[in-house]
Amino acid sequence: MGAPLLEIESLRTYFYSRSKRAFIRAVDGVTLALARGETLGVVGESGSGKSVTALSITGLIGAGPGVIGGTIVFRADGGEQNLLADLERYVDRKEVDGRIVEVSKDEAGWRRKVERIMAPLRGKAISVIFQNPKSALNPFVRVGAQITEVIRLHTPTKGAREAREQALDWLRRVKIDSPRLRFDNYPYGLSGGMCQRAVIAMALASEPALLIADEPTTGLDATIQSEIVGLLAELKAEIGIATLLISHDIRVISRLADNVAVMYGGSVMEHGPAADVLAARFAPKHPYTTALLASIPSEQNVRDKGYLTVIEGEVPDAVDLPRGCRFYARCNRVTDGVRDRCAQREPALQEIAPGHRVRCWLYGE
Amino acid sequence: MKLSALKPVALVLSRELALTALLLLGVSLVVFVILFLAPGDPFSVLLEGQMPSHEARAGVREALGIPTTWYGQYFAWLGNLLRGNFGTSIRTGLPVFGEIVRVGASTLYLTLGSMLVTLLIAVPIALHASVRGATPFNRPFTLLAYVVSALPVFWLGYVAIYLVSRQLGVFPLVSQASAPTERAWLYSLLPICVLGLGNGTVSEVVRYLREELSRVMAEDYIRTARAKGASVWRHAFREGLLIPMTEIVASKIPFILGGAVIVEQVFNWPGMGRMAWQAAQDRDFPAIMGIAMVAATLVRTGSLLQRVVYVAVNPRASQQRRGGGWAE
Repeated sequence: MGAPLLEIESLRTYFYSRSKRAFIRAVDGVTLALARGETLGVVGESGSGKSVTALSITGLIGAGPGVIGGTIVFRADGGEQNLLADLERYVDRKEVDGRIVEVSKDEAGWRRKVERIMAPLRGKAISVIFQNPKSALNPFVRVGAQITEVIRLHTPTKGAREAREQALDWLRRVKIDSPRLRFDNYPYGLSGGMCQRAVIAMALASEPALLIADEPTTGLDATIQSEIVGLLAELKAEIGIATLLISHDIRVISRLADNVAVMYGGSVMEHGPAADVLAARFAPKHPYTTALLASIPSEQNVRDKGYLTVIEGEVPDAVDLPRGCRFYARCNRVTDGVRDRCAQREPALQEIAPGHRVRCWLYGE
Repeated sequence: MKLSALKPVALVLSRELALTALLLLGVSLVVFVILFLAPGDPFSVLLEGQMPSHEARAGVREALGIPTTWYGQYFAWLGNLLRGNFGTSIRTGLPVFGEIVRVGASTLYLTLGSMLVTLLIAVPIALHASVRGATPFNRPFTLLAYVVSALPVFWLGYVAIYLVSRQLGVFPLVSQASAPTERAWLYSLLPICVLGLGNGTVSEVVRYLREELSRVMAEDYIRTARAKGASVWRHAFREGLLIPMTEIVASKIPFILGGAVIVEQVFNWPGMGRMAWQAAQDRDFPAIMGIAMVAATLVRTGSLLQRVVYVAVNPRASQQRRGGGWAE
């Protein structure tokens, strides 16, 4: 297997809220690894930092201060590089007992550096599928031309005619109906599902080493969603490209992911093989994962209880994250034995089974 | 561009041309009625130096074959116009059409040149500001552009003449009309720059372009372009630059023509603005009508071009389903 394709280590991405005069800690110390050929599902509620993690990897964070720390090691084509190399020197952090209270960042210098690092990788080694496919395609350019552009930019195929043929072939591979017709359509002439197929074709056309699928089924009708998931499953079996699959929908994750990372409040709470993490409710795992699984409308849940469990409370305010465990306030499995630790200190990711790590005081120390 | 894409353009073009014809008819009627209601008439010019008696007026009217009612006069004028005859200037006795062509070319040179100056100044400022936001580097330029734009052109014109010709002596104080022909373009630079910089156009072009470009840059499809390693400018060009640029220029044409009237006075520029000014003073009805028609045509041409560009680049505007697309 060798070293993983992508290794994210204590990634921090903050935003600054002018109105609250404080940092929004959108991603706060995320650590993840993704092997070649693996599909890693990242699941969590809205605001848990999933999408910001994806945007941080691609260097597409728009608002400041953005990424302020961590490493993202990417290994492709025999090389190895830290996508955040030397970026630390553009950032100046001031900490007061372990909390970052002040960040000054040379935004222009940082951005120039990111562009220099990412320019050879974007679209070529790392492709992204965004949510809302209808707005992700350029409305002024024919669908086929948008795929052809990727092929001519990032593959050895430079001739217009060959690139065109190749793009058409990708449209066939994503099983869009009447690909020849769609090729010359503008995006407004396509349904949401067709647009997403075109977006997937565009992302795969450069044969990247890493595919980031950020909520690929969000904004689509329910039937189209399962069609797209089916397509992604087929493509996974066919091409086997390493995929970071981000979704709030556990059903999408459970159908596609080999490994699952559960995110909460900007941090990874549990990370392990999909079979273990998404296993029956009483298997050992993080209380948040248990609660998340109980809230899905699955046959099992309905049969057992006749109703769905709601996770009480709200996602913690990313401006004022609790000092101890992020999930403490909503946790229903706190015991008197761990209560003090839960409230005071943040637990570390502990390995509870081979490859299965959980950030919870119930397991460990 | 494929042939199928030209179809909606032709459709829009024919619709816009029909609309233009109607509008020109309306404009001619309104201008004519206003002229008729306004005090004074051409007779006082024709019979200069005399106290025009009723009999003298009737005599002239009969000699020139002018109908007595205003609508009679209007339809006589319209009939001539449809036969390509703009009439004869009362002041000079020359055909209005030839005169308009002569001064119109001069005004077109002035206005197109000033438009170019406006865009050369405004587009870089707008691009820089929309990509980088307000920075210490671009803020002074933006501020200066806004201040200069806010100055009235007649004042800016005189100050420019004073500074550039009197103080610096860069340009001799000669009007373009009397300048040596081989260097006429040099003498025309000053009025072109004054009209291009002043007149409020630069600030509005900067503001509009910056807003549109910033909006487009935040669109999802631009993020897609970045993520796929494509040129952001290539993807943003149509919606972020081409469309807003034609829109703002087309909407500014009336203001530019208005500014040209003043600049032509200040710089003694032999253009349509001066002719219009003179014609209005003399109540030279045929000349005024001719200029009104040409000015209205120019304004309509601008918006017509804008519509054509919009339809040509925006596939959604053509409302035509190509290749059997899905109904919206």
